[in-house]
Amino acid sequence: MRIEKCYFCSGPIYPGHGVMFVRNDCKIFRFCKSKCHRNFKKKRNPRKMRWTKAFRKASGKELTVDNSFEFEKRRNEPVKYQRELWNKTVDAMKRVEEIKQKRQARYIMNRLKKSKELQKAEDIKEVKQNIHLLRAPHAGTPKQLEDKMVQKLQEDVAMEEDS
Amino acid sequence: MALYNFKKITVVPSAKDFIDLTLSKTQRKTPTVIHKHYQIHRIRHFYMRKVKYTQQNYHDRLTQILTDFPKLDDIHPFYADLMNVLYDKDHYKLALGQINIAKNLIDNVAKDYVRLMKYGDSLYRCKQLKRAALGRMCTIIKRQKQSLEYLEQVRQHLSRLPTIDPNTRTLLLCGYPNVGKSSFINKVTRADVEVQPYAFTTKSLFVGHMDYKYLRWQVVDTPGILDHPLEDRNTIEMQAITALAHLRAAVLYMMDVSEQCGHSLQEQVDLFRNIKPLFANKPLIIVANKCDVKRIAELPEESQKIFETFEAEGFSVIETSTLTEEGVIQVKTEACDRLLAHRVDTKMKGNKVNEVLNRLHLAMPTKRDDKERLPFIPEGAVARKKRMEVDTPKRKLERDLELELGDDYILDLQKYWDLMNSSEKYDKIPEIWEGHNILDYIDPDIMRKLEELEKEEELREAAGEYDSEPESEDEEMMEIRRLAQQIREKKKLKILQSKEKDTRGPRMPRTAKKVQRKVLEKEMTDLGLDMTNKDDAHYVRRSRSVTRKRKRDESETPKSTARSRSSSRTPRDVSGLRDEKMVKKVKIMAKKAQKKMNRLGRKGEADRHIYDLKPKHLLAGKRKSGKTQRR
Repeated sequence: MRIEKCYFCSGPIYPGHGVMFVRNDCKIFRFCKSKCHRNFKKKRNPRKMRWTKAFRKASGKELTVDNSFEFEKRRNEPVKYQRELWNKTVDAMKRVEEIKQKRQARYIMNRLKKSKELQKAEDIKEVKQNIHLLRAPHAGTPKQLEDKMVQKLQEDVAMEEDS
Repeated sequence: MALYNFKKITVVPSAKDFIDLTLSKTQRKTPTVIHKHYQIHRIRHFYMRKVKYTQQNYHDRLTQILTDFPKLDDIHPFYADLMNVLYDKDHYKLALGQINIAKNLIDNVAKDYVRLMKYGDSLYRCKQLKRAALGRMCTIIKRQKQSLEYLEQVRQHLSRLPTIDPNTRTLLLCGYPNVGKSSFINKVTRADVEVQPYAFTTKSLFVGHMDYKYLRWQVVDTPGILDHPLEDRNTIEMQAITALAHLRAAVLYMMDVSEQCGHSLQEQVDLFRNIKPLFANKPLIIVANKCDVKRIAELPEESQKIFETFEAEGFSVIETSTLTEEGVIQVKTEACDRLLAHRVDTKMKGNKVNEVLNRLHLAMPTKRDDKERLPFIPEGAVARKKRMEVDTPKRKLERDLELELGDDYILDLQKYWDLMNSSEKYDKIPEIWEGHNILDYIDPDIMRKLEELEKEEELREAAGEYDSEPESEDEEMMEIRRLAQQIREKKKLKILQSKEKDTRGPRMPRTAKKVQRKVLEKEMTDLGLDMTNKDDAHYVRRSRSVTRKRKRDESETPKSTARSRSSSRTPRDVSGLRDEKMVKKVKIMAKKAQKKMNRLGRKGEADRHIYDLKPKHLLAGKRKSGKTQRR
C-alpha cells in the first residue's frame, strides 16, 4: 500500500481515492480528485494553475532544492525487512520532517519580508500626496501666525520698555 | 503436382432440358415486340438477333462441355486408363465428337438463315425464316440425346472418383477377394471401407491417408483380383490392374493363410506369379493376413516351403492380423521405409539430382585441439531423473498440510520468508507515516545522511538564519502608517458616497448647485480650520437690500441702451392684455388648453407620436359587433 502523488496538484492520494489513467504509451497518471482529473482532460498545464504545487515550485514561491528532500526518494530495489533498520528509519523520518518544515517556513518568510519594505514606501507616498483629505495644510497657521505676531509684539514692547 | 479434380465439370443437361433452356432464354433476353408497320430493316434485325442469340447460346454451352471434360491424351496415364476401364475410351471420344459436330452444324445453320433473312421482305417471311432456323437447331440437339445422357452419367461418376495423386508416396493393396485388404486400410488410415464376408465387397478403388515420418502417405485399396487371363477380366478387376500398372507405389500383396477367403494357398501363389510382371520396379511385401486364425508355423511343410522360397527370392514376408493388430505397424513401417529408399534411388539416378547435389555442402567443424568436450547435464536434472526412477517421497506440500489440519488450517506464507533474522518474520511492518511512505525512506545509509543533515542544521542555526527579526519601527513610522490607514478609509467613504448619489442622465454641473453654509463650515472644521465667527465671510448670503445697495453704490447708470429697454419691456404673460380681468381669464384659458395635452400625455403641440399603432382590440378577432368604417 502506497500513498501516491497526484499528477496535477501533487497532493497525496490515499488508498481508495482518486482515479488512475493509463495512456496508450503506457504512462500512468493518478489524480486525487475529479477537479484535477477534469483539468487534465481540458489539457491545462499544472505549471500555470496557481493552486498547484507545480506552479508554486516553478515560480519560486516555495523551496525546491534542499538536502532534506533527498531522503524521500522512490527506490526500485527493495530492501529486506530488518527490524532495527525500520525503527531507525521511522525516527529519522520524524527528524527529517521537522527540519524540512523549518526550512520551508523560513524560505517563505524571507520571501514575504520584501513586501514590508514596499508597504512602508507606499504608506509614505500616500501620506505625502493625500494628507489634505485629513487635514488642511495650513490648518492651524493663521492662529499660529497670530500667536507669533502677538508674541513678537509683546517682545517688542518689552524691549521698548527695557530700552 | 495438381490434384486431379473432376468435380468442376459443368452439368450436362439432357436434350429436352437443353432445348427448353435455350429457347426460353432467347425469349427472355431478346426484345419481343415487333409490328408489321415497322421498317423492314428493323424487322430483319429483330429476327436476325433472335437467330444469332440462340446460336450463340448453344455454341457456348457445347464449347463449355467440350472443354470441361478431360481429354484422355492430356491427363496422367493412370487416369486415362482408369477412365478407359470405366467408361470405354472409344465411346467417350465418340460422344464428345458428336457434340463437336452438333456445335458446328448449329453454327452453319445460323449462318445460312441469317444470310437468307437479308432477303426477307415482310414480317411474315422473316418470322418463318426465324422459326425454321430455331427449329433446325433444336432438332440437331434432339438427335444428340444419347450422347448428352452418356456424358452426364460419365460426369457424375467422374466426380465421385477418389482423388489419387499418382506421383506421391503410395501403398497399394492387392490380392484375392476377402483376404483382408479393406480391413487393413481401415486399421492403418481413417478410411472407412465396407468390410463384408462376401466377395467383391469393394467394387472400386478407395484411398486412405496416413502419416509416417512427418510425411503424408496414400493407401489405395483395390477390389480383389481373380486368377484368369487379362482379356477375361471384368471392369472391377481391371481397376485394380490399372492401379497396379500405373501407380509407382509399394505393393502389399495380401495372402490369407487360413484360406478363409475361399481360395487355397496354392491359388493365391499362382495369382502372385501371374501378376508378378506388374510388380517390376516396385518394392514388394507379402503380407500373411489372418495369422490369428492360423500361423505360418502351423501350416503343413509344403506351404511353409512356399514361404521360404519367397524369402529366398528376396520378398519379405510379414505375418499380420487385422483383428488383433499384430504386425500391422511392422508392415507399415517396412513398406514405407522401402518405398522411401526406392524413391530416393530413382531420384539419384535421374538428371535433376546433379543440380541439387552441386549446391549442397555439409560442413563439419574441424577440431582445434584434443580436448574432449562432453555434453553438460546440470546436477538438478540428473537428480530429478533419478528421483523419477526411484520414486522417493517428495517434500511435504502445503496441500498435504491443509488436508491434515482440515478446519484449523491457515495459509501462512510468512514462514517461507528469507530474512536476515528469522525471528522477525511475524512482525507487523509499518508502511505509512503521516502521509509519507516509509519505503521511500528506507536506505542502509540513512543514519549517516541524517547526521550530515543535523550538522548542517546546526551550522545554519549558529549563523542566525532562524532568528526572528525584531520589529524595527520607530514612532514616526507608526504615525505615518496610522495616517495612511486613515487616508485610505476616507477615500473609500468618499467613493461609497458618490456611488450612493444615483445620478442617471444629464447631470447638473457642480457650480449650478449652491453650497450650503452649514455644510461648508462643517467640512472645514473637520479638516482642522477654525470656522467660528465667520458671519461676515464672503460666502455668506446677504438679503437683497444689501446686494442691491451694493449694486447701486457701484454703478448708477446702466451700461447700454439694450439693458434699459429690457427693464421697461412688459413680461410675456401680460403683453397685449388690457386689464387684470383679462389676465385672469387668459390664465384660465391657457390651463384649459393644457388639459387635453396633459390627458393625452403629449410633450407639447408638436408631439404626434402614437404609442400603439395597431391596437389589438380593433384589428384582431371576428367582425362581431361594431362598425368597420374606421379601424
